[in-house]
Amino acid sequence: MNIIGPDELVFGVDDLEACKQYLIDYGLRPAATQGRGGRFEALDGTAIVIRPADDPDLPPALGPAPSLRETTYGVRDEATLEAIAAELGRDREIRRGRDGSLTCVDNMGFALKFQKTVRRPFRAPADLTNAPGSPAQRPVNVLGITPDMPAVPRSLSHVVLFVPDVALAEAFYVRLGFRVTDRFIGTGPFLRPAGTDEHHTLFLIQTPPFMKGVEHFTFHMGSGTEVLLAGTRFEAKGYQTFWGPGRHLFGSNWFWYFNSPFGCHVEYDADMDLHDDSWRARELPASADTSQLFLFTRREKWFPGGGPPQDH
Amino acid sequence: MRGKVAQVPNAIRLCRLQELLVGSARGFDPEKTGQDTMFVLRRPHSVLAYVNKCPHQDSRLEFRKDRFLSADGTRVICHGHGAHFDPDTGVCTHGACLGQSLEPIPTRIEYGWVWAAPRGLNGDR
Repeated sequence: MNIIGPDELVFGVDDLEACKQYLIDYGLRPAATQGRGGRFEALDGTAIVIRPADDPDLPPALGPAPSLRETTYGVRDEATLEAIAAELGRDREIRRGRDGSLTCVDNMGFALKFQKTVRRPFRAPADLTNAPGSPAQRPVNVLGITPDMPAVPRSLSHVVLFVPDVALAEAFYVRLGFRVTDRFIGTGPFLRPAGTDEHHTLFLIQTPPFMKGVEHFTFHMGSGTEVLLAGTRFEAKGYQTFWGPGRHLFGSNWFWYFNSPFGCHVEYDADMDLHDDSWRARELPASADTSQLFLFTRREKWFPGGGPPQDH
Repeated sequence: MRGKVAQVPNAIRLCRLQELLVGSARGFDPEKTGQDTMFVLRRPHSVLAYVNKCPHQDSRLEFRKDRFLSADGTRVICHGHGAHFDPDTGVCTHGACLGQSLEPIPTRIEYGWVWAAPRGLNGDR
């Protein structure tokens, strides 16, 4: 089944204005107003959708607002939608939307939608590296960075869920062709659907039942530099760091997590490993050492200058 | 810095009461750590203060300066995983630390000023 990854996440929120401002400051583009809510897009058209928590058109909430109300997965083609309907129709209700999409719930009760992907091709520059020992990637007289360089979310990368029964939760996605790329023993699996090479578009974390919900979502940035730059700009707007910046081991992706008004963390990530079916999953206990290669804390800019230390 | 603070036993002056709107929250950084380590809530009939630490992972609650509350001001929210707390008791009513409590900080109002006695300032944390 050719599932690519999340196309959009729909949140039911109580603080619409704070959520809108947050997503704009995070770097998403307001693409559509939907009642009192709206749709906020990355460069490839993947998006976060916010709606009032009491919107009757939303799937039921798993807890008080704010909360994740629906995860929409983009698939490659109609045949994949048919295959999903055939597989899931064996043991649960599947609804067909007028647009051909499918809706259902997963084994944990999270509302899902499957649709032909909204992801559109786009071009954006890569962070070219000049490394001794390898051919130069960045030509002469081309600058690596500029103070006003863009650093905006490019594509919805992955979502992480707290689930009360990780084996049961995992089994649902494996039925849909997701593969476990790596696993934190006792915590949960990193999952890659068949329609992408990305290390994970979903990570599941075993928790007590009352914690069920979303832990974080993240968009891919263009590079580690863009993660650091976007995070620095976001902090300068007053947003509160939770974890990072740093670089994860499983997936190799750069990370920087922030608190948010969505009831979960929101991350910037970049430069994730790609895998195919020949990859053999690693299994490690989750710890500070296994979850990251390094971790930093941002500090105020300063400049050592040339004189004696200044009193401060 | 500690020496200077120690001259004020047990309590520090945070702000004027009139600066706090009823139903609002405000973070304070009395130890000058660079991050707000406590926050104050002005309730209809009281002023309450808590350590800015969610019992779930000991992380800070706000997503932005002074943003500790739900939109309607009726709940303290941890903006990490969305835990809800009763503002008057500090007890977690929904989420990751269900049943646990925020750590309260004693406060008093004197001559129109809000005073608080965070434990860290006495060197006992």
